Amino acid sequence: MPQLAETYACAPSTERGRGILISGDPKSNSILYCNGRSVIIRYLDRPLDVQVYGEHGYPATVARYSPNGEWIASGDVSGTVRIWGTHNDFVLKNEFRVLSGRIDDIQWSPDSQRIVASGDGKGKSLVRAFMWDSGSNVGDFDGHSRRALSCAFKPTRPFRIVTCGEDFLVNFYEGPPFKFKLSHRDHTNFVNCVRFSPDGNRFISVSSDKKGILYDAKTGDKIGELSSEDGHKGSIYAVSWSPDSMQVLTVSADKSAKLWEISEDNNGVVKKTLTCPGAGGVDDMLVGCLWQNDHIVTVSLGGTIYLYSASDLDKAPIEFSGHIKNVSSLIVLKSEPKFILSSSYDGVILKWIQGVGYSGKLERKVVSQIKCFAAVEEEIVSSGFDNKVWRFSLRGDQCGDGDCIDVGNQPKDVGLALLSPDLALVSIDTGVVLLRGTKVVSTIQLGFTVTACSVSPNGTEAIVGGEDGKLHVYSLTGDTLKEEAVLEKHRGAITVIRYSPDVSMIASADANREAVVWDCASREVKLKNMLFHTARINCLAWSPNSSMVATGSLDTCVIVYEVEKPAASRMTIKGAHLGGVYGLAFIDDDSVVSSGEDACIRLWKVTPQ
Amino acid sequence: MSFRIRGPNASSGMGMADHSKNTFMELKKKKAHRYVIFKIDEKKNEVVVEKTGGSAENYDDFAESLPEDDCRYAVYDFDFVTSENCQKSKIFFIAWSPAISRIRAKMLYATSKDSVKRALDGVHYEIQATDPTEMDLEVIRDRAH
Repeated sequence: MPQLAETYACAPSTERGRGILISGDPKSNSILYCNGRSVIIRYLDRPLDVQVYGEHGYPATVARYSPNGEWIASGDVSGTVRIWGTHNDFVLKNEFRVLSGRIDDIQWSPDSQRIVASGDGKGKSLVRAFMWDSGSNVGDFDGHSRRALSCAFKPTRPFRIVTCGEDFLVNFYEGPPFKFKLSHRDHTNFVNCVRFSPDGNRFISVSSDKKGILYDAKTGDKIGELSSEDGHKGSIYAVSWSPDSMQVLTVSADKSAKLWEISEDNNGVVKKTLTCPGAGGVDDMLVGCLWQNDHIVTVSLGGTIYLYSASDLDKAPIEFSGHIKNVSSLIVLKSEPKFILSSSYDGVILKWIQGVGYSGKLERKVVSQIKCFAAVEEEIVSSGFDNKVWRFSLRGDQCGDGDCIDVGNQPKDVGLALLSPDLALVSIDTGVVLLRGTKVVSTIQLGFTVTACSVSPNGTEAIVGGEDGKLHVYSLTGDTLKEEAVLEKHRGAITVIRYSPDVSMIASADANREAVVWDCASREVKLKNMLFHTARINCLAWSPNSSMVATGSLDTCVIVYEVEKPAASRMTIKGAHLGGVYGLAFIDDDSVVSSGEDACIRLWKVTPQ
Repeated sequence: MSFRIRGPNASSGMGMADHSKNTFMELKKKKAHRYVIFKIDEKKNEVVVEKTGGSAENYDDFAESLPEDDCRYAVYDFDFVTSENCQKSKIFFIAWSPAISRIRAKMLYATSKDSVKRALDGVHYEIQATDPTEMDLEVIRDRAH
């Protein structure tokens, strides 16, 4: 049975113009964030150990540990809050439909009995506080007329709740049962985040008007503000207190994070500015932060997480990142150590190393979207949603200047001859285009709708799959294709064709859930009845010794077959990726890497029986 | 004029040949065969035995005897050990109707299935399979308990 060895987690999903709220548990040294429908739990000291909770039916927005560390409450865009256990396989305790719109922030009371959730309510209540086990309301929260972006629960008795929102207001409620006490309109733009200090004496609100204001926690009166000298030059998206309540960390759209020292007279003075060490650009805007024990975590819009040490602020941060969107292709480069390149449709290409994890982001001069991706040693060929095929060289972490070739139509699939990589075959609507280097050698119209194509490693044979399920085998000479044979077995549009590494076999898969292994020389079916998927097959990979074939499908499963044994003796990985498996590759003869819609990449150990 | 009223489901006028019924009884009572494969003989308008397998044969031999692109009926005697450690044997009726077979064959076998099942008294479980994965050994094991 295949075992999960490593998970390369996704990055938090971010949105331009809004901050994100990440939270953590000081006891287990973990942080929580959301991407798509999953809530990710990451341990700061063990980056390869990631737990994913995928039970939300809608994209999850925020998740928070209870103060006793036993439960996690997570909210999603439909207004549902799910409360589930941290241990014990994420057993669900309760699920409540709290608001009628998206939930933006959730906070537990310090005794883990009450939860307050704020968000978008479509005119009705925008903030609700309820008991965690029964869901009964514990107060009326009127006072906001627009989306409530954040809320906070005073961590010491007497209990107070503070909320803030897009109507520029900071509202203060006393209770329980919570009732409106007073409101502040000191900000002149969206108030993005409000947080109480851990000792319960003060709370701070930060806003898109670049200001931060401090208030007294018991009475709710304004007592000071963050100094504007050396202050932020862009919207402040999130704020976090230090565990000793003496300092505050803020992150902003001006790509910097600032540590403020809160003095006796309750005014804040900048102690240190941490600039984002990224390459510049919109992706470096910082949108989330968390101060936990000795760790300072900041998250950028591009999804990169920077980990600073609070005691040694001058040390360069540890960076780790992941994909935010569906990872549509995976390639393993045969270098030492073996790199795994993963690409997602938004044009992000990341490098990973087995056993280590995140190894770098390929900096590209032109960031174009990527639909098909092929790579050999030092060259990458990619195509996106326009008519161009990009070819660029790979040197370390930098991509060289790419050359783009216009192929006349949106490329449907790209095949690269592995032994002579300047030959590439691109399939377009009803034909194929042969490329040598960066020149279009010929465009050949084939007369049928082409869906997938592949070139043999030595560049002498090409196979083109059509929408009718037929595989056309062509011999490639110079710049012409001569049809040699038509292989018929599939009953649906061909989705992927791959040559085995020893070039003796071909594996093809279709949209009708079937995969077939053919013998190259005799063009006969070698392994059939590979029909165990329940939805279209998206990707296929051969093991380096050509003895195993793995198929990944939209039904979230990865099935590994051994070519010498009947298809029924297969190894299935169920639920590999929430939403479907889109990329698959073998690292060596017993490890498979898979990637999917949940933006995660997982490594599995497969031992043949 | 009087019309004979047909049953609630559409059924063809197919009958079970006596030889087929006897072969099934041999499988059930005397355990003479591991499996029996029945075929519809359109000319004689009845269900006849196409092949039988000896008790020594196993499930893979049975699966291989079924044609890839034509429908059949089959009975298989499945031996297994339950969770309480007792040896049991259950008879499975398999309606084999692969998706790639001709539509006329599928129609014929589907409409005659009920009368065949009525004649084969003593079948414990029925499986309808439209491709080899649906009558995989795992599926049989799951159903038998």
